[in-house]
Amino acid sequence: MPAATSKRVRGTQVTRHFIIGNTACDLPAPGYPNPPPENHSKGWTVYIKPLPNGPDMCTWLKKVQFKLHHTYNDASRTIEAPGPFEVKETGYGEFGIEIRLYFAQEAGEKAVYREHYLVLAPYGSEEQQAKQKSQNLVVAERLETIEFNEPTIDFYKALTNEDQFNWLKVKQGQGKGKKPTYVFKGNADPTAQLPEKALENGKPAEGGLGAGGAWSSQFERQVLAQLQQSTAVLDQMLDEEKAMAEERRKKLAAVGATVGAAAK
Amino acid sequence: MASRADINAALGAEIQHQPVPRAGPVPKVAAPSKAARRPAPHRFKKPAVRGLRPAARWTYDESPALENGLSFRRWKKQTANSDSKPVDRFGRYNVKLDVPEYNDEIYAKHLTNPEWTKEETDSLFALYRECNGKWPVIIDHYSGSTERTMEDLKSRFYSISATILSINTPITSMTATDYGMYEMLNNFNAKQEASRKKLAEGHLYRRQNEVDEETVLLSELQRIMMNQATLDNEREELRRRLDHPIASNSYQYGTSQALTTFWQQLLAADRMKKNQRLRPTGNPTFDGMAGVASTSASRSSHAGLQDAARRNARESLPSAAAPQSGLSNELSKADLLRFGVVQSHEKLPSGVTFASDKLTKPRIAKSTVQTDKIAAILTHIGVPDLIALPTPPVVEQFESIMSKVHALIDLRKVAEKEEQELRVRSAEAAS
Repeated sequence: MPAATSKRVRGTQVTRHFIIGNTACDLPAPGYPNPPPENHSKGWTVYIKPLPNGPDMCTWLKKVQFKLHHTYNDASRTIEAPGPFEVKETGYGEFGIEIRLYFAQEAGEKAVYREHYLVLAPYGSEEQQAKQKSQNLVVAERLETIEFNEPTIDFYKALTNEDQFNWLKVKQGQGKGKKPTYVFKGNADPTAQLPEKALENGKPAEGGLGAGGAWSSQFERQVLAQLQQSTAVLDQMLDEEKAMAEERRKKLAAVGATVGAAAK
Repeated sequence: MASRADINAALGAEIQHQPVPRAGPVPKVAAPSKAARRPAPHRFKKPAVRGLRPAARWTYDESPALENGLSFRRWKKQTANSDSKPVDRFGRYNVKLDVPEYNDEIYAKHLTNPEWTKEETDSLFALYRECNGKWPVIIDHYSGSTERTMEDLKSRFYSISATILSINTPITSMTATDYGMYEMLNNFNAKQEASRKKLAEGHLYRRQNEVDEETVLLSELQRIMMNQATLDNEREELRRRLDHPIASNSYQYGTSQALTTFWQQLLAADRMKKNQRLRPTGNPTFDGMAGVASTSASRSSHAGLQDAARRNARESLPSAAAPQSGLSNELSKADLLRFGVVQSHEKLPSGVTFASDKLTKPRIAKSTVQTDKIAAILTHIGVPDLIALPTPPVVEQFESIMSKVHALIDLRKVAEKEEQELRVRSAEAAS
């Protein structure tokens, strides 16, 4: 690679949110082999996907390798851009899936590992579990934020290119002799940031179970509030500990004095 | 060499249908003798089969009688199946003109005009009807008491038409086409029309040299416009190469004097350092204060500036700095946010990092015992094992929690020690 392209943009970091997760359901279910293989009771899909209104992932992601449990045939599945980066399988047990992300050529970065623990059984509060059972759909996903520190100049240009949002555009207008124009159809402007509100028909954020729509600043505030609550508890514990330490010091002083007196 | 086919071609298609022996590939030796035998090319030889074609028969269509009582016949060739009924094929070209009508009452009420008498108006309308609305014919036939131009006639006629139209159907209940018509009639501007005609006429009678001049001018304009694009591109490229910083109010070194002062400051600052990176230009007007005394004087006066200057100097020295500033300047703040670009002044780790690592790695300490302790505290205060949303505020909050957790663990360690000591001491005291 010539030296000019590997030059990096100093003091700059480009962040991209994306979602790692899996969906699972009881078999038989549409989209999975029927009848299912012997003993297989669950169908699941593990995936990596961008935010619903975010920039295209293929700008930085070249391919993804999913390493399944070694009992699967052909356990490492590689999916090249443009994706979708997902693996659909059936099974009966949960395990950790190693996900290896390969970056675009111009990024000049090595591949990195992420891990996702496959969740098949309903989880969360009882209410949530009931809901997951009734829908026959368990969604376990988390938001991941990748930070490209001091990207190369070429990569930086690619990451700040307007074309990244082209995949969100919808073809419109096919007048004679006119080129079809592409426009954004969503009601929010596409952005790499978290949307203010969950986008998909106002589905409320449900503790990270949401199918992509839950990822919003609203949810971020919920998480923050939760953490702040924890901080408050922690502060209280710290105070108690300090009070106890103070008390001990007093006792110690008293004992020390008596010891000192006894020594005299 | 004229062959028979050539001659036939010259005589035209008329005789081409008669059987003609094809010229064909004549042996080369035979050709000159053939030409020599023929004295002169045949001239307009009458075709042998002349008169074989039957004479054309003609029939006619009787047209339906016209309004003025005239009738005419339209002759045409008779064909084999020409029993066709007399169709009025040309009837559709017999267009009737829709001329607005008015009576005395309407005229008196709406249509009076100081420049026109009723008689004149009547005769204009009659003429219009008679000439089928062909204005050049109308102006030719018009003979009024006053001299009038075609535009005068037209404007009078159109204004009356518009008025009558609006009387027949009020503007509020007009259909779109009617209203369009009304608008058009009302908007007739005689003066503009006259000047337009004059212009067109002038254009018609231009001299050759004027035409030439115009052509030259147009081609010149064309050339300029063609070059404009390339010129613009070149300029743009030049500008990009120069990559000049945009001079704003905050840029304080706008004048050459200010720049000289700045250079002197940098130079003075550089002299203070061990390894000097700047070399004096050798020109005393630029380098200024050669003596140490003057340097110190300037230092005291620009103490604050100097720091900034030194920093600037350091930043501007690596060659990478210039294009880089261009890169980040290209995007507006909103765009930076949209593309998730963060400008950081802290030292960034190299390569790719994940924000979620900041939520998991601090949980693991060097020893398993310590890790367990941290996990116990976190569970106690209700921090979940997996935080699904590693955004910067969340990470920040988590980091503050972790620092507190560590403080708590330290406190507990101290507490353990102190309690041990207390026990020993109290045992001592009791003994």
